[in-house]
Amino acid sequence: MSESDNNISIMADWVQLNHVNKVYSNGTVALQDVSLHIKENEFISFVGPSGCGKSTVFKLIAGLTEATDGDIRIMGMSPAHARKQSEMAFVFQDHTLLPWCSVEDNVMLPLSLRGMPKKQRLEEAARVLELVGLKDYKKALPRMLSGGMKMRVSIARALASRPKLLLMDEPFGALDEITRQTLQQELLDIWQREKGMTVLFVTHNVFEAVFLSTRVMVMTPRPGKIAEEISIPFAFPRDDSYHATPEFSEYVREVSAALKH
Amino acid sequence: MDNVHESMASGITGTTSKPVSAASGQKKATRGWLTKLSQIVPPLMAFIVLIGGWELIVTWIGTPTYVLPKPSDIYLAASDNFSSLMASAWKTVWESIYGFAISVVLGVSGAIFLGLSKTIEKSIYPYAVILQTIPIVAIAPIIVIWFGAGMNSIVIIAFLIGFFPMLSNTLIGLNSTEQNMKNLFTLYNASRLQTMWRLRIPAALPFIAAGMKISCTLAVIGAIVGEYVAGIGGGEGGLGYAITVAATRLQTPYLFACGLSASLLGVAFFLLINAFSKWLLSSWHESEMKVDN
Ligand SMILES: Nc1ncnc2c1ncn2[C@@H]1O[C@H](COP(=O)(O)OP(=O)(O)OP(=O)(O)O)[C@@H](O)[C@H]1O
Ligand SMILES: [Mg+2]
Repeated sequence: MSESDNNISIMADWVQLNHVNKVYSNGTVALQDVSLHIKENEFISFVGPSGCGKSTVFKLIAGLTEATDGDIRIMGMSPAHARKQSEMAFVFQDHTLLPWCSVEDNVMLPLSLRGMPKKQRLEEAARVLELVGLKDYKKALPRMLSGGMKMRVSIARALASRPKLLLMDEPFGALDEITRQTLQQELLDIWQREKGMTVLFVTHNVFEAVFLSTRVMVMTPRPGKIAEEISIPFAFPRDDSYHATPEFSEYVREVSAALKH
Repeated sequence: MDNVHESMASGITGTTSKPVSAASGQKKATRGWLTKLSQIVPPLMAFIVLIGGWELIVTWIGTPTYVLPKPSDIYLAASDNFSSLMASAWKTVWESIYGFAISVVLGVSGAIFLGLSKTIEKSIYPYAVILQTIPIVAIAPIIVIWFGAGMNSIVIIAFLIGFFPMLSNTLIGLNSTEQNMKNLFTLYNASRLQTMWRLRIPAALPFIAAGMKISCTLAVIGAIVGEYVAGIGGGEGGLGYAITVAATRLQTPYLFACGLSASLLGVAFFLLINAFSKWLLSSWHESEMKVDN
């Protein structure tokens, strides 16, 4: 981890926001003076109450909307440019699978949209479905899968394009607690295996943020800003036993306290 | 509807788990037959009572045949003129099929064209709505003036009557995709045509199927109306033409036979399209149910 941090000194920041403001056309000040410096291979969680601008940060990074003020760089490129280069992938709370396409076709969607040859597409699909443990379901239709499985397919689809930056906006929000914990563990395993992938993760769940992240960004609303950045230096690989450590409770207490400001 | 759900459910579990034992399968099949029978028997009884009552009452009162024929008169008229009745029906069948096919092709492609750009949709769709409000019988004579009496005009009238439901249904379907899905396609740099082809058209299929079910019966009506105003004789006329001729000659039993044939044709056409839409949507029946219910 720390090694890969050091050997890229020129392009130190994978994601960089400098004094970004976002005012929507209806006058809502969604973000005020937000600065972020995210490096390769980090796992960053954004926590904060509803309406504090977490999704807005993601929309800005994905180039879906423009910043009112300030500068955004993704691997040295503008957000729109980075997206065109297929450096980013997305997972939403809603699985957003096409109901008429098989699991395999759904996973290959980003690849076929950019015109990758079929043979290569199938190989990639096989690879990522193996990663999320669904290789036996590639011909199934989404409606035959449980909520947790659908979310796995959604994650597989994001991984299929081998993104350098994975944006996840409350991906586990609609799942039950047990499925959620399983998927958290799987996500961490995948993140460690896919070297050089940075994950940005929105959640309302402090435990989830502390379990997964290398750093937690605590945001406050009206106007949305980053109130505190909390490092979670606990070593990887992390598993269930981490939940029981005194460090874990300490981090949770720290993040919760920051949220209450 | 109930046993449709049931058979679909068993179809799904059948693919994922081991099939049920032969004995219980047989039991299920028998039960299926019984429910089917219980659906068919009551309307059949009502039919027999109605026809029998009609026959008896008309015989008893002694109403002249040219005012109200008995069912037996209608049957005789149909069997005596069977070949000309079939020829007329066949003619109407083709007019309806052509009119329907054109309304599907132009309705769907028109909607796709409108759907490609919000500006185009906003500027053209209102005229399609206005066109729809003009009664077809009001335009029919103009069409005859332009295209002459006969097949061409009749097909155009059948097409016009079925076109709007196809256009508007498809357009609603194309615009029914969720914002999340559209965002996803944008995020993966999909072009407008890719989004249309990979997302919006598949999402519109249930709506297109629903439009087809409406348009197919309308096309039969359109063909009959077309024959009223543009039908030509000489053994070339369809059911609508035969009806006008029978009416002027007071051949009321044959008129009834033609009318009944026309409605049977509409029903058959509908059932055919219904089966086709089931097949079309077989890979995603969830949404078909949404449209059905
Ligand atoms: N398109 C928009 N137009 C106007 N205002 C918007 C728009 N999108 C978001 N906002 C406003 O900007 C603020 C931040 O919204 P955002 O969606 O980023 O919050 P969030 O932190 O993701 O909330 P949640 O946890 O509920 O998802 C909110 O006050 C919201 O009402
Ligand atoms: Mg949000």
